[in-house]
Amino acid sequence: MSRFLNFDTLSLHAGQVVDPEFGARAAPIYQTTSYVFPDTDTASSIFNLERGGHAYSRITNPTVGVLEQRIAALEGGSAAVCTSSGMAATFCAITAILEQGDHIVASTQMYGGNISLMKNTLPRFGITTTFVDPTDTDGFRNAIQENTKLIYGELIGNPGLDILDLEEIGKIGVDHHVPVMIDATFNTPYLCRCFDYGANMTVHSLTKWMGGHGVAIGGVVVDGGNFDWGTTDKFPTITEPYAPFSGIKFWEEFGPSAFATRIRAEAMRDIGPSMSPMNAFLLLQGIETLSLRMGRHLSNTMDLLDYLSNHDQVSWVNHPSLPSHSSHELARKYLPKGAGSIISFRVHGGREAGKAFIENVELASHLANVGDAKTLIIHPASTTHSRIDADALVAAGITEDMIRLSVGLEDVADIKADFENGFRATKRVANG
Amino acid sequence: MYFEVNGKQVFASTGGRPFDNRKPTVIFLHGSGLDHTFWGLHARFFAFRKYAVLVPDLPGHTHSEGPALASIEAMADWLNDVTEALDANDISLVAHSQGCLIALEFASRFPDKVLSASLIASGLATPVNDFLLNAAENDPDAAIAMMLGWGFGSAGHMHQGPIPGSSMVASAGKVMRGNVPSALAADLKACNDYKNGKEAASGMAGPIQVIVAGKDRMAPRKATMELAEHLADPEVTLIPESGHMIPQEVSNQCRALLKEFIFSNNPAT
Repeated sequence: MSRFLNFDTLSLHAGQVVDPEFGARAAPIYQTTSYVFPDTDTASSIFNLERGGHAYSRITNPTVGVLEQRIAALEGGSAAVCTSSGMAATFCAITAILEQGDHIVASTQMYGGNISLMKNTLPRFGITTTFVDPTDTDGFRNAIQENTKLIYGELIGNPGLDILDLEEIGKIGVDHHVPVMIDATFNTPYLCRCFDYGANMTVHSLTKWMGGHGVAIGGVVVDGGNFDWGTTDKFPTITEPYAPFSGIKFWEEFGPSAFATRIRAEAMRDIGPSMSPMNAFLLLQGIETLSLRMGRHLSNTMDLLDYLSNHDQVSWVNHPSLPSHSSHELARKYLPKGAGSIISFRVHGGREAGKAFIENVELASHLANVGDAKTLIIHPASTTHSRIDADALVAAGITEDMIRLSVGLEDVADIKADFENGFRATKRVANG
Repeated sequence: MYFEVNGKQVFASTGGRPFDNRKPTVIFLHGSGLDHTFWGLHARFFAFRKYAVLVPDLPGHTHSEGPALASIEAMADWLNDVTEALDANDISLVAHSQGCLIALEFASRFPDKVLSASLIASGLATPVNDFLLNAAENDPDAAIAMMLGWGFGSAGHMHQGPIPGSSMVASAGKVMRGNVPSALAADLKACNDYKNGKEAASGMAGPIQVIVAGKDRMAPRKATMELAEHLADPEVTLIPESGHMIPQEVSNQCRALLKEFIFSNNPAT
C-alpha cells in the first residue's frame, strides 16, 4: 500500500492485525483482566510508558485497542481512548485538562446528561460553565473568560438540531488558546470529520449510530492532535510534570497524542471507566457497516421528512435538511451527505395528542435512545430532558408537545404505515 | 529541555529524566519533517536505564528555533555544537532515514565522540524526486501524503501505533503538518543534495549497527544494504515485514536490537 485507505475500508480493517496464531478474521475478544509479562524488564517498560503493550484491562485491552485505533482512523485523530459510556468519555476528557477554578463555554443545545454534568456536577469540583445558544457564534467569543479552558458543543444540537458553525468556533478557540471539544455522536465521522473544521477533540456515545445495533453501551475520546498545548501555561496537566509517572510531561514526550495519553495514564487508572472487551467487539461489528447504515438512515430520513411535512396531523417538522431550518446553510456546509437521522415534530392537539401518538405506534419503539437500527420515538420533555429546569428546556428548544424521532433502517413504507396508526389516535384527541 | 546553541533556542527531549552528562549519552536523530516524538518510547526506555538521552528537534522543527538548516553537513556541525553546549560524552548515535546521513557526517568528522552508531532505514544518499521536492515547497499536504503513504508499511496504513489506541501514521502527519513548508522542504533538499555518503561511511569507526526494512519504499532495502557494504564490519539486521518507519512500525523489535547493541558497546553502569 502506498496510498491511504478510504473511509469504508478503514471501517472494516483499521486497527486490526489478523490473529497470527489461528488466523481469526474477526477481531478476537480478549476477555481477560490481565496479561502475563515475559520478564520483569518488559513489565516495568509497559508500566513506565516505554513500550506499548497491555498490563491490565482497565487501562488497555487488545480488543478495545482495535476499536480505538479504528475510530482514530475514521476521525482523522492521532489517538483514541474508549470508555464505558459516552458520558464517561466526556467526564474523562474534561477533567484531563480542567481543574478547580476553570471555566467552560458550552452550547445550550446538548444531550441532557451533558447539560447536567456541566450545570450540576462539575460545579461541585469548582468547574463552571457559561451556556450559549449554538446559533450565537459571537456569544461564544463574548463568553470566554480568563479562566476558560474549553469550548464544548454538539455539532448537531440535541434536540433542536441547530448546527454549530464549527469553523468560526474553531477560530475563537485559536484566538484565545482554548481547545474545542465536540460531542460528535449525532454526526459520526461518516457525516463530518470535525477535526477538518477546527475541532481539537471529539467525544462520542458509541452506543448510538457508531455501534448502531443498540446492544452495547460505550464511549470514546478522540485526540485531534492539532492543539498546541505549549503555547501558553494554561494547561499544566498536559505540559507540566506528572508525578505518578516519574514526572512525565505528556506534551513534550507524546506531542500529538499528549491529551489521549494523559487520559490513559490518569483517568483510566485512577477513575477506571473502562470499556469491556465484549462491548468493544460488538461496537466493532457495528462500525464495519457504518457507511451502509448511515446511507439508509439518511434516505429514510429524507423520505419521512417529506411524509411528515405534508401530513395534515403534523403542525411542525424540524430537521436541518429542510430549507426552513435556521441552520440549513450550515448543514449543507458541514454535513453535505445529510444532517443526521433525528427529526423532531409536533402534532396538532398538543401534549395529549403527542402522548396518543407515542402510545399508538407499534413498530417505532418508545425508549430513551437514539441511533439504533430500529426506529425510536420519545417525548423529551418528560424523559431525556426531564431533569433540566423550565428555562433550560426553552433554551434547548424543547416544547411540551415535541416528539423526537430517531429514524431507523426499516422499510420506510412500514414506518409510515405504523405512524398512520399514531396519527389516527392524534386525530381523535384533536377532534375531542 | 530547552537550551541555546549559537544564539538559537533548541529543544531536545531527554526521555523523561533530567539530562546528566556524566552518563553515557544516547542521541536519537529524526528524519525529514519529523521531530523528537518519533523516538518517544525508545527515548524513555534508555533514559530510565542509566543513559543520558537527547532527542533534539532539528532547527526549525517543532520546538527548536529556525531557520531549518540547508545541508546535511551543516546539520552535523550543529549536532556537534549541541554536544559541545551540553558537554555530552560517550555518545551512541541512533538515527533514522535523514538522521542517518547526519550521523554519518558527524561520526566521521568527530570519531572521538562516538562510541557506537545505529543506522536505521537509510542509504549512502537519499535522492528525492523532483515531484516531491516541488510538492514540499508548493503543496505541503500532497508532500506529506506522499511521504506518509510511502513511508509507512501496512501496519501504519492500518492505523496501528506503538501504544494501544494511537495511530502512528496520523501522529506523524500532525507533526509534519507543523513543520511545513520550510523545514520539510529544507530537509528534502538537503537529503537530495548530500553526496558525501561513501566518504563519510568509510571514515566511521567503532561498532556500527544497520537495521534494514524489508518493505521500505523510501530507502529501499538495496540502498540500506549498499550503505552497510561501505561500513566497517557492521551488524546488519533485516526486518522483513517492516516499512521505512521501523522505530514505530516494529518498535518492540527495534528497541530489542538497540538495547542489545548499545548495552554491549556503550554500557551504562
